[in-house]
Amino acid sequence: MDIWEKLDGIDRRWIYLLMFISVLIPTIFVVKFPIELTPEAEQLYNAVEELPDSSVIMLTFDYYASALAETEPMSIAALRHMWRKDMKIITLSNIPLGGPTIAERVTREIAEEFGKVYGVDFVNLGYKANYVAVMHGLASSIESIFPTDYSGTPLAELPLMQEVKNYDDMTFIYCVADNATVDYWVSIVNAQYGIPVGAGVTAVMAPKMYSFLEAGQMTGLLGGMKGAAEYEKMVGALGTATIGMDAQSMSHLLIIFLVIVGNLGFFMKRRKSKGAE
Amino acid sequence: MGKEIDIFSIVIKLKAIRILPVILLTITMSLILNSQAFAQDFGDSVFLYSRITVIVLLLVFSGAVLLYTKWAKAGKKLFIRKIAGVDAVEDAVGRATEMGKPVLFIPGIADVEDIETIAGIAILGRVARVTAQYDTPLRVPVRYPMVLAASQEVVEGAYAEMGKADSYDKDTVRYVAGEQFAFTATVNGMMMRERPAANIYMGGFFAESLLLAETGNAAGAIQIAGTARPEQLPFFVAACDFTLMGEELYAASSYLSHEPLLLGGLKGQDFVKVLIIISILIGTLLVTFDIGDWYTNLFDVP
Amino acid sequence: MRTTIPIIVAFLAGTLLIVSFFFNPEKIWIGDAKELALQWMTIVGGFALVLGVVSIVRVNARAVQRKSEGWFYKLMTVISVFAMAIPAIMPVTKESVGGSIFYSIFPESCMGYLGTGSNSFYDWLFNYVDAPMMETMFAMLAFYIASAAYRAFRARNTEATLLLLTAILVMLWRVPMGEAFLRLFSDNLPGYINTYVMGGFNVAVQRGIIIGAALGAASMSLRIILGIERTYMGK
Repeated sequence: MDIWEKLDGIDRRWIYLLMFISVLIPTIFVVKFPIELTPEAEQLYNAVEELPDSSVIMLTFDYYASALAETEPMSIAALRHMWRKDMKIITLSNIPLGGPTIAERVTREIAEEFGKVYGVDFVNLGYKANYVAVMHGLASSIESIFPTDYSGTPLAELPLMQEVKNYDDMTFIYCVADNATVDYWVSIVNAQYGIPVGAGVTAVMAPKMYSFLEAGQMTGLLGGMKGAAEYEKMVGALGTATIGMDAQSMSHLLIIFLVIVGNLGFFMKRRKSKGAE
Repeated sequence: MGKEIDIFSIVIKLKAIRILPVILLTITMSLILNSQAFAQDFGDSVFLYSRITVIVLLLVFSGAVLLYTKWAKAGKKLFIRKIAGVDAVEDAVGRATEMGKPVLFIPGIADVEDIETIAGIAILGRVARVTAQYDTPLRVPVRYPMVLAASQEVVEGAYAEMGKADSYDKDTVRYVAGEQFAFTATVNGMMMRERPAANIYMGGFFAESLLLAETGNAAGAIQIAGTARPEQLPFFVAACDFTLMGEELYAASSYLSHEPLLLGGLKGQDFVKVLIIISILIGTLLVTFDIGDWYTNLFDVP
Repeated sequence: MRTTIPIIVAFLAGTLLIVSFFFNPEKIWIGDAKELALQWMTIVGGFALVLGVVSIVRVNARAVQRKSEGWFYKLMTVISVFAMAIPAIMPVTKESVGGSIFYSIFPESCMGYLGTGSNSFYDWLFNYVDAPMMETMFAMLAFYIASAAYRAFRARNTEATLLLLTAILVMLWRVPMGEAFLRLFSDNLPGYINTYVMGGFNVAVQRGIIIGAALGAASMSLRIILGIERTYMGK
């Protein structure tokens, strides 16, 4: 058995080990390669930047805890960007498990940083089942869908919600998601109610989103951890996505290396079998 | 058969069928054009005139599906290309039978309101018939209780139809977990412990697609997947032996049934696809020459 | 009869939802039928959850009873189901359903720990048990992608070679280290990849699959509504 045959039948646990090392080392020894901006990330940043100060924006936390590494840095950077412009933020989640809890934790953390007051500068609506019905319902009345906020306070008691009754009072929807709800924000809320929608999604979902982007149905896109790192760079507050970029770089390079080795083995074997014939 | 069929037969004989898409497209466009003009006059009423375009397209689509179904019923031979992945389903079950190992079938991880799940359950019915026939153990883990109820009904029905009602085990279809990765972990565990000979994934899948398919591959199973989610297709293609892409998933149950009535629906769908391709080409040309605004507005449904 | 009634129900439900799309929900009830149906589905789904719980308990309890292999983990599964479910359905305040009876038996100091709010037992389990486990499972994708790429990504023919080269270019473009490498060849290369590969070929392929799948879904729905496709009923 020559080396190529051995490599072809390699125990996949060796590959797992290599992957583990390629993620671990850059996490410990951070190099911070320069992050270049993509036009779609810039488009999202500019869309928010061009909104008038103090305008009302909806930020969704449509993700499970499993995708936190990719999506949470997007939410954090978005909150920092919006509060730097003194915007009013309404958060909600279409995910029952995780989303509302994460929204509560993240918004309160960043609010402290900017000295923002709950009920005046931001409100967490929490979760309501049936996202399609929720998205339609918010167009006529937020209060009819969410009579109370996440902690059970009636919306009538929250000053911000006296000014915001439906989509007409909002300027932008910033959707951070790890699932298909983003399709509905585009196809229902943007298409039927005309409010601009920008999104931050996981890397796996990003290629599909380009269809919406190219069609002008989506205003800007952040794809995976790289997208989050780009937004962090534009906001000027480096976070976990920027730190994670080195690990991601190494793991991508490892996969490319593995693909090359795999193909070399494939060609060697093919040459050998042709020679044998 | 009725008079209509005779007229259609004449049309086919005259080979005019080849220009039928163009004729239908012209009729559709003129209908849409008229309806759009009408829609602008009555925007805010009980009936949403602005959505008339959808009615026109719905009528054309339904008409095409029903027409081809009728032809199929009349005995006209319809050519349906071979779908390797679907053909492989029966072989995979056969392999499991020979090896005396179970077949694992996952009807996606979406809820029952998702049409992909319905397609998955329809294919499950076909697979269950074969496993019942050969007394091959079948395992169907599901993520939602509604899918559990529907799948149980289908599998039980399949066993009864094959005269094997006694061999049906109520826990063939089992609820595993509502949480995506808890479901994945359990199914992966099942794969490694029971080593099914064939893993069939048909329905809506998300981030767990590769986790399932890679584990199945490591367990040495023959794997067939089908999903309409473009973002998950690369993972299935990389780790499975056969993959049904997009509409192939919806066609699979009809294809497996070999019933002309169902195959007629597939032809109708293909016909509408030809119409859409023609519409896209016209739109691309018009927009390229900057005279396409009116055309794109036709398809702008609020 | 066993087939006819479900087919009639499917036909009526499907037709009603299609018709409702064309009516103004603010002017006539039929326009609101879709939302109504969604609410009904949530309620039916809630009741169906009992079926799920019965199934999970029956399958695992049987294994525990027989002390079959891995019975301890199956026992943990059953315990976990109830550990997450019970605190979430307990009355959170005295005003909640059954709250007055509950808090006449248990001390009021346990109020904060029930329900799903922050500081609750459910929240604790979610943050420190469920979330890390979910993240771990998701992270495993990196390992599986590496092994799948090593095994399956072969330049077997021209198409596969093109796919492989494109994949390598996109993988390089998506990370800073790779992007820096690409810029060694040309400063415009990352931009070209974004414009032509992601915004060009990718969008074309995605749209093709989406349109095809949407047509397939519509065709299947039509077959179901008209009772042509009955396989989902086990027929």
